[in-house]
Amino acid sequence: MKELAKSGDLSADLATAFDASPNPYVLITPDLRIAGMNDAYLKVTNSQREAIIGQPLFAAFDSGPGEEAPENVRQVKASLEKARDTRQRDHLALVRFSIANRGADGQTVFEDRYWSATHTPILDSDGNVAYLLQHTNDITELERLRRQHGLGETETVSALDAMIGGNVLRRAQLVQEDNRRLETERNRLIDLFMSAPGFVAILSGPNHVFEMHNTAYGNLIGRGSVVGKTLRDALPDVDGQGYYELLDRVFATGEPFEGREAPVSFQTSADGPIQERFVNFVYQPIRDADGQVAGIFVQGNDVTDSVLAAQRQKLMIDELNHRVKNTLATVQSIAMQTARSHSDPATFAVTFQARLMSLSHTHDLLTRSHWEGADLDEVLEHETEAHGHHRVLANGPHVALAPAAALSLGMIFHELATNAAKYGALSVPDGRVMVDWSVSDSPERRLSLIWSEVGGPPVVMPERRGFGSRLIERNVRHDLAGDAKLSYATEGFRAEISVPLARGHSS
Amino acid sequence: MSKGLNGRRVLIVEDESLVAMLLETILEDMGCTPVGPASSVDEGLAMATDAPDLDAALLDVNVAGRQVFPVAAALKARGVPFVFSTGYGEGGLPDEWRGQATVQKPFTEAAIRQALMAAMGVAEA
Repeated sequence: MKELAKSGDLSADLATAFDASPNPYVLITPDLRIAGMNDAYLKVTNSQREAIIGQPLFAAFDSGPGEEAPENVRQVKASLEKARDTRQRDHLALVRFSIANRGADGQTVFEDRYWSATHTPILDSDGNVAYLLQHTNDITELERLRRQHGLGETETVSALDAMIGGNVLRRAQLVQEDNRRLETERNRLIDLFMSAPGFVAILSGPNHVFEMHNTAYGNLIGRGSVVGKTLRDALPDVDGQGYYELLDRVFATGEPFEGREAPVSFQTSADGPIQERFVNFVYQPIRDADGQVAGIFVQGNDVTDSVLAAQRQKLMIDELNHRVKNTLATVQSIAMQTARSHSDPATFAVTFQARLMSLSHTHDLLTRSHWEGADLDEVLEHETEAHGHHRVLANGPHVALAPAAALSLGMIFHELATNAAKYGALSVPDGRVMVDWSVSDSPERRLSLIWSEVGGPPVVMPERRGFGSRLIERNVRHDLAGDAKLSYATEGFRAEISVPLARGHSS
Repeated sequence: MSKGLNGRRVLIVEDESLVAMLLETILEDMGCTPVGPASSVDEGLAMATDAPDLDAALLDVNVAGRQVFPVAAALKARGVPFVFSTGYGEGGLPDEWRGQATVQKPFTEAAIRQALMAAMGVAEA
């Protein structure tokens, strides 16, 4: 064969055979122009070689006039295009296609003809479609036979008539059309499947071989093509998470499985780290004609973003609830302790409200810094400014307080200032309060603060420890792990507070 | 009124001094003797292990950013009944401790009394 082809004899032989064949053949270019034909073709189509060669096929043959002509052309064209695009042979079982005939009077008349056609792609050495070979069978004689029979005396429908009669012809055409429609539909479904926002994959057989998957699935698993691989080979990083076993069970039992917000960890890119994603998915068994499970249809959505957002939100709500409830318990405590030292509802209301406002002021300061902390001098100023700037003299370095320390010191300054205004230096016009503080760094970061009152009335040791002094001592010791010393020297009240600054406290 | 709680020694673990003071006041009103209060899990654990004659305990679930459960485990091992106090809802407790007597913040005296009695298995007199 090779030698024949080299010498050129093979092509000569083929061309001769082609021309001599009683079967009509026409060679068509991929853009549907006529490239060549044999004599049989010229004969059945009543055409001249030079008139049709190089012509677009449907310019040379347009199926003539008549309502069905465009439809006939469309059917042939679709079959040719399919053979070209799929590189697979395509058959047209039955098509009506009219052929022009020059009558005795020189008029062109169109003659209805019935054809069966096969379109075969002819590939070049690169595998591209070089030509399409159309092989047609003229089956018009069968149709004539039917008609002649129908023209006979008897109206009885013969077997032959039933076989090739109008109904069969129509049915054959309908089936052919249905096939075309189904194929269009199938192509559209595949397009939808490929571009669906959810992920879709089809697994075949008991080892779950990837038959196909869409773009979203590819994006999810973040790796090269897995088509043709088994699940265990394609996704080895999912081992031990129960998914292999789940698919095995769906395949074995034929029971579908639905997962919601299911965590799955795998490498989301080739060299990337293992990441956790959350997916909603369905494993749906695919059954063959016998009802046996043949594969599994996998479909779902990546819901990682919404799952993480919901987790964050729950965390924030829990934390908010915790803080609100703790604050309410604090307020409850202030109310109860204040009530115990105030039998008069009017003075209770004033004192309780003042304590509440003090707490609220510190909250305001902390909110300004997004609860990162507050400056000591700001907290002090907030709690004492009502008594006049020149009467409370602050002296110390800039100190950033953590939220818990800010809240504690806010309440402490409030109690100290209230007490000074009631009994101490701020109860007389000339009295002053000096607030001095310093920060030492060894052995730990520690704040030492002294509140000392001068110019007030002679100090009298209180008979009973009130809520204010208990709160100061307890708060410093308990909440801030520090020390507080309150002294009632006659010349002026004095509070010494020492607290570590490093200690983290939640409120 | 609550004879069953009279003279009982009750450990308090609570990081917030104002809330601890409230609990002390409530317990004293019921005739109990408050022990502590402990302001951290470590301090609470030491008291839960070493404090003599504990009859019961009130445990804040979130103590200075840590969960109080090691203290609960120590008390359980010692056979001391306890009540959780929490600002989180029912869902705030892990499975292991679900069903344990719990009071929600802010709390009433009656709620604390009932929870303590339930934990101690003491009938109201």
